[in-house]
Amino acid sequence: MDYDVLVIGSGIGGMESSIKLGDMGYKVLLVEKEASVGGRMILLSKVFPTLDCASCISGPKMSSTINHPNITTKTYSEVTGIKRRPDGRFTATVKEKSTFVDWAACTGCSDCQTACTVAVPDEFNADLAARRAAYIAFPQAVPKKAVLDREGTSPCIGACPAGIKAHGYVSLVRSGKDEEAFQLVLDATPLVGTLGRACYAPCESECTRTKLEGPVPIRLIKRFAADQHYAANGATPSGPAVEVAEPNGKKVAVVGSGPAGLTAAWQLARQGYQVKIFEKRSQPGGFLRHAIPSYRLPHEVVDADIANLTSIGVEIECDAKIDDIAALKDSGYDAVVVATGTQNATPMNVPNEDAAGSVNGLDFLADVANDNAPDLTGKRVVVVGGGNVAMDAARVSLRLGAADVKVVYRRTRAEMPAHHVEADDAEAEGAQFEFLVTPLEVLATDGQVTGVRLQKMQLGAPDASGRRSPEPIQGSETSVACDMVISTIGMSPDATLYENVVTVGRGKRIAVDPHTLQTEVPYLFAAGDVATGATDITRAIGAGRRAAHMVDRWVNDQPMTGFTALDDRIDTIGHDTVLSRQTAFGHRNPIKGAVDLTQLPRDFHEIESPLTEEQARAGAGSCLDCGVCSECQECVHACPADAIRMDKRDVENDFEVGAVVVSTGYKLFAADNKPEYGWGRYANVITGMQMDRLLAPTRPFNTVLRPGDGKVPERIAYISCTGSRDAQVGNPLCSKVCCMYSIKQNQLIMGALPLADVTMHYMDMRAAGKRYDEFYEQAKDMGAQYIRGRVSKVTEKENGDLVLRYEDTEGTGEIVEAEYDLVVLAVGIQPNRDVERLFTDEELGLDEYFYVAEPSEDLDPGVTDVPGVFVAGTASGAKDIVDTIVHAGAAVAQVAAHLEKAEQATKAEVLA
Amino acid sequence: MSETESPQRRIGVYICHCGGNISDYVDVERVREAISADPDVVVGKTTLFACADGTQHEMIDDIHAEGLDGLVVASCSPKLHTTTFRGVSTRADLNPYAYTQVNIREQDSWAHTDDHEGATQKAIALVQAGIAKTRLSLPLEPLRVETVPATMVVGGGITGLRTAIGLADIGIAVTIVEREAEVGGWVGRLGPMFPHNASGRDQISQLMAEIARRPTITVLTNAELVGKTGSFGNYTAKVKLRTETTEELRQFQVGTFVIATGADVYSPEVGELGYGIDGVVTIHEFGALVDAAQGSGSLTWQGRKVRSVAYVYCVGNRQVGGNEYCSKFCCAATVHASIKVADLDPSIRQFHLHRDVRAYGKYELMYTESRERGSVYMRYPDDALPSIEQMPDKRLAVTVTDALTSQDEITLPVDLVVLVTGMVPRDNDDLTTLLKLPTGDDGFYNEIHPKLRPVETVVDGVLIAGACQGPKPATEAVSGGLAAVTQSAGILKKGFAELDPLVATVTESLCTGCGDCLTTCPYDAISSYVCDEGQKASIAAASCKGCGGCVPVCPEDAIDLLGYTSAQMMAAIDGLSVKEPVA
Repeated sequence: MDYDVLVIGSGIGGMESSIKLGDMGYKVLLVEKEASVGGRMILLSKVFPTLDCASCISGPKMSSTINHPNITTKTYSEVTGIKRRPDGRFTATVKEKSTFVDWAACTGCSDCQTACTVAVPDEFNADLAARRAAYIAFPQAVPKKAVLDREGTSPCIGACPAGIKAHGYVSLVRSGKDEEAFQLVLDATPLVGTLGRACYAPCESECTRTKLEGPVPIRLIKRFAADQHYAANGATPSGPAVEVAEPNGKKVAVVGSGPAGLTAAWQLARQGYQVKIFEKRSQPGGFLRHAIPSYRLPHEVVDADIANLTSIGVEIECDAKIDDIAALKDSGYDAVVVATGTQNATPMNVPNEDAAGSVNGLDFLADVANDNAPDLTGKRVVVVGGGNVAMDAARVSLRLGAADVKVVYRRTRAEMPAHHVEADDAEAEGAQFEFLVTPLEVLATDGQVTGVRLQKMQLGAPDASGRRSPEPIQGSETSVACDMVISTIGMSPDATLYENVVTVGRGKRIAVDPHTLQTEVPYLFAAGDVATGATDITRAIGAGRRAAHMVDRWVNDQPMTGFTALDDRIDTIGHDTVLSRQTAFGHRNPIKGAVDLTQLPRDFHEIESPLTEEQARAGAGSCLDCGVCSECQECVHACPADAIRMDKRDVENDFEVGAVVVSTGYKLFAADNKPEYGWGRYANVITGMQMDRLLAPTRPFNTVLRPGDGKVPERIAYISCTGSRDAQVGNPLCSKVCCMYSIKQNQLIMGALPLADVTMHYMDMRAAGKRYDEFYEQAKDMGAQYIRGRVSKVTEKENGDLVLRYEDTEGTGEIVEAEYDLVVLAVGIQPNRDVERLFTDEELGLDEYFYVAEPSEDLDPGVTDVPGVFVAGTASGAKDIVDTIVHAGAAVAQVAAHLEKAEQATKAEVLA
Repeated sequence: MSETESPQRRIGVYICHCGGNISDYVDVERVREAISADPDVVVGKTTLFACADGTQHEMIDDIHAEGLDGLVVASCSPKLHTTTFRGVSTRADLNPYAYTQVNIREQDSWAHTDDHEGATQKAIALVQAGIAKTRLSLPLEPLRVETVPATMVVGGGITGLRTAIGLADIGIAVTIVEREAEVGGWVGRLGPMFPHNASGRDQISQLMAEIARRPTITVLTNAELVGKTGSFGNYTAKVKLRTETTEELRQFQVGTFVIATGADVYSPEVGELGYGIDGVVTIHEFGALVDAAQGSGSLTWQGRKVRSVAYVYCVGNRQVGGNEYCSKFCCAATVHASIKVADLDPSIRQFHLHRDVRAYGKYELMYTESRERGSVYMRYPDDALPSIEQMPDKRLAVTVTDALTSQDEITLPVDLVVLVTGMVPRDNDDLTTLLKLPTGDDGFYNEIHPKLRPVETVVDGVLIAGACQGPKPATEAVSGGLAAVTQSAGILKKGFAELDPLVATVTESLCTGCGDCLTTCPYDAISSYVCDEGQKASIAAASCKGCGGCVPVCPEDAIDLLGYTSAQMMAAIDGLSVKEPVA
């Protein structure tokens, strides 16, 4: 047997049970779901009726628990299932949730907490203040160790094919850490400025704010960080853009300088490889320079991004067309990465396709990029196709002076592969669309284009891709007169580079293992569109990162399997989870970059404006911190013990135990279920737990103040029985503790704020217990007012003061409205229904109010209806601390009797 | 102290930054340099957090690697981490009493935030003192005392009986000592009780049947505890057994006592709220009446059918100048009684004149049921008790101010008035004196601390449970009894107890037998014996609390306190006065 007893929950009941069992010599496994033991008591100010400081009572118990030789404590862990075995013992499955921190190394210094850029409501301060995503539960936490609150990878990061930590850099920009934001993107790719402009931002489509008023402007925030960096550092860095590992003596050749090749080179060079890029054209950048028009992505931006690469020693040789991969390898490289993209335009295969004035889109855009643009002034242009290249060609044509630009596409707008923004913008600039037509012939006179003959189409049955196939409508031909035809109907890799070395796949792609990006020739890897067909920048960057990682593994003889993600992403958190944890949303008008769309633009100036600093901060500030941790890496950099472990994962283990103590405690009544009292809507209506935090020695504001405006309250009202003795909220029970904790707070407030008037609106003052009534009398003597009767409604005045409406039952009997600065709701106790999930094969009996039932409570407190399972503390009903400690003591006696009996039975069996 | 006296020791010193709590005010690096000059300091380190897991492991590694035989940790108050670093020592096979905690936080950095130089000098002095004390430390072993696996339960009410069963079930023999001729106490006389309608009589029978099945429980009735001698975990209890004609004294060896002597019920003065008038009864008398009516199906008083009842709450409780406490159980008991009355005859009109209905927790459900079944609850003001008079027709007139409806008085004509009387402490002076049990100003026995040690008293080995500790419902009294079982088992289950060896010892050769120390010990731990050299003092280690009160009394300096020997303390004082070597 692993342990004699499993104790679930380390609040005061669980700690008391564990310590007493340990003192008797039993081996105890204590499982706590939070990062610290202590439960709620440690969070309180002082405790009734002795007014001991809660920490002074709870602290030593926490310390005894964790240091007890017979207690094994697993914090930040959950019991996920308990099964009763035939021998009467139990198998308990315990999930140790990943803290993402190596606790053996963590010293609890809280540097990570200081560095963290994400703030979320601090549950240990009853949400009055914020805590960080990297946090130590509270100052007296035991063990005092940090945890990274990673509820999942944020959807924006999860959506990025390049694995760029969008939430991370948004969070950094929100914190004013623009350079850190730039560096975070730089960790993935040198193309920070490029992505800030030309990326289609799948992150924004997945942004949870999209479900509200619109996404966080993630891409423009990245552009903001990049612009800040380049403005401060110049387009050409004076030194290496990032720290680079010592040279490892290995050499890698990269063929092609598009986003995949540049990224692969970047990652390899940072790891100490000597990397050389071979580029066929005269300038590096691939499609970034040669296909994406400069009004979307200025060449200076591409140059600045590429300068990052050259700053760390990557050599780029232009005008260097590679014909023989084997020869390249043999010239001294350990590996070769092919990243040549899709350079070949697909021909239309119609008559007169080679007439003067008929060009393919790729050549057209490349010529424009290389200052070799045709003069289209007054010309009529027909663009064939419906992809992004078509939109670029059309919009570039307009900028070159074309009088009339017509895009002809064989399906309808709905099927058009171009990004809808591109299509809309093209239309706004004056491009016309004609759908359901396909070219039959380029019309030419004397070898010069005069028009296009078109076949009208209709949509037929859906094809393999799910899109409806266009079918010609017989006899429905038409023609368009024009001076130029630009065909943009597809592109494919140029296989001449590798067709003699490796297998050529579908669409002339180079055949690779999709996981390793390795070809049949072990030293040869391929990244980007050359292996996948035309995609987009982010996918190319992702492939470049993967290829670099795999080359490194292969060169170092490491296994090529077992690597699944580009980084330490975990499961992406769902939008609904994020939205459901918000109590309120401030509406924020979505921030968008201004796009300068004029009819018939005639120059190539960048059309999208950057965010102003104010916009960037406000846009980043609207982030909902979906995954909580933004993966911004600030804690990783800050930790002096190097203890952050983003790759840690949950671990589940089974333990055999002889008995179980359920000490899972209670939940506080959620005060927003009593809307007439306004909690959650009126800032100056708080709960009793919040007041206890305001009064505690580790209090968030170091004084008692009202949250709405920070004013020190002078008139404070308590409303007792909030959520208790109330059929309306489904809880007819009395919570037992609220009268007493209110009286305690009344006394503490009168101590802290001698001028404050404290009034409690109550039903029956349930000061039942040793020295409790005396404690109540003491509060009255100190000046607290007690008014009998239930408050019907709280309303808020403009200045944040609150008006309580009640019947003065013991006075005049009239309806009274009284004004207060602060209202404290004495919220009650509710069952913690997590216990219902503890047992796998059987049910733990609950009473009709969902507390753990004690069927023979009169003589056998602590005994449940499952033999060997016991209950301690508020899991079986409302109890104060004193009651809980005594109840835990009783439960322990029951556990010991059970274990003793089981041992006797085993002995008897052995003898027999 | 001269160099020649100084034993060669290998001491490790760890000076904690406490993440800035110390190092923001104390130049810890200078402290380390200063103390590293000491030839006995083999390891001198500063550390971000001495208590962190990682540092603890580092200390253990150092102790092993450097063969350390002493450990000094300069960090926070010994209250926080003495157990932590004793644990570190034990895990490293270093005697835990060769470790000294030096407090340079609460007593230094936090106190001198305005004087960094002064704080640093003070830290050096404090650490030097700690090193000096450690240099003279002796390896000590915990005192092991054998314990007797037996408990004496005083009181045979529901708490005592349930406690006895609990103890027997975990292998501890029990002797129950009951003063009366019958066990069962108050509960044994009751019919159905709240909250589950279990009959008090049945519960006691059930417990007695369970006790009969457990041969390790001895029940003594007509018996009283009259003597207690011995030391921790091993006491001799003297019990006086009475019959009508004889008295017998018997002795029992026990490890602990559980006092479960219960409480008495408040008995109103004649004239108090009409008590003495025909038809005015206490809740206890009324309970018996209701129970007796169960068979007959109708509630009668003096042969007359009872048509209406008024309950007056808080009699003998919550009285300023009287019994100020609340008896906790009486509201629920009365609410429960009113439901039983409604069961008997729903037409009986019931008026509850209360001050607050303290039907806490799940008892609220009974309160709701009582109201739903017709009971009328009226709150009277704290300062305006109802008055009760007999009317000519022998019925009773209860005059009360109902705070809810009006400020005017109303008069309720009723057949029966029930005074809801609470609990009072039992008259147990002999036992209280014998065991030196502390009582509160309410007259009930006091635990050490309601949250830290809720069933322990300041008297070692004597535990309390149930209503002798304060008024409470039976189920809570039973819980308290079982908590006392747990506490007893914690002491007795292992068969021995380990006590801190920081106790006083007598150097026999120096003792002149003057006897001065004998009277100073508050724990009666010092006795004298005669040997060849005459009279000598001797200290029973198991009884000594290490208070040190006897040490200065001895004119011959023959008494020393282990762990804080005179030599250690003198050395520590010398250490405090050594100035930092001038660089």
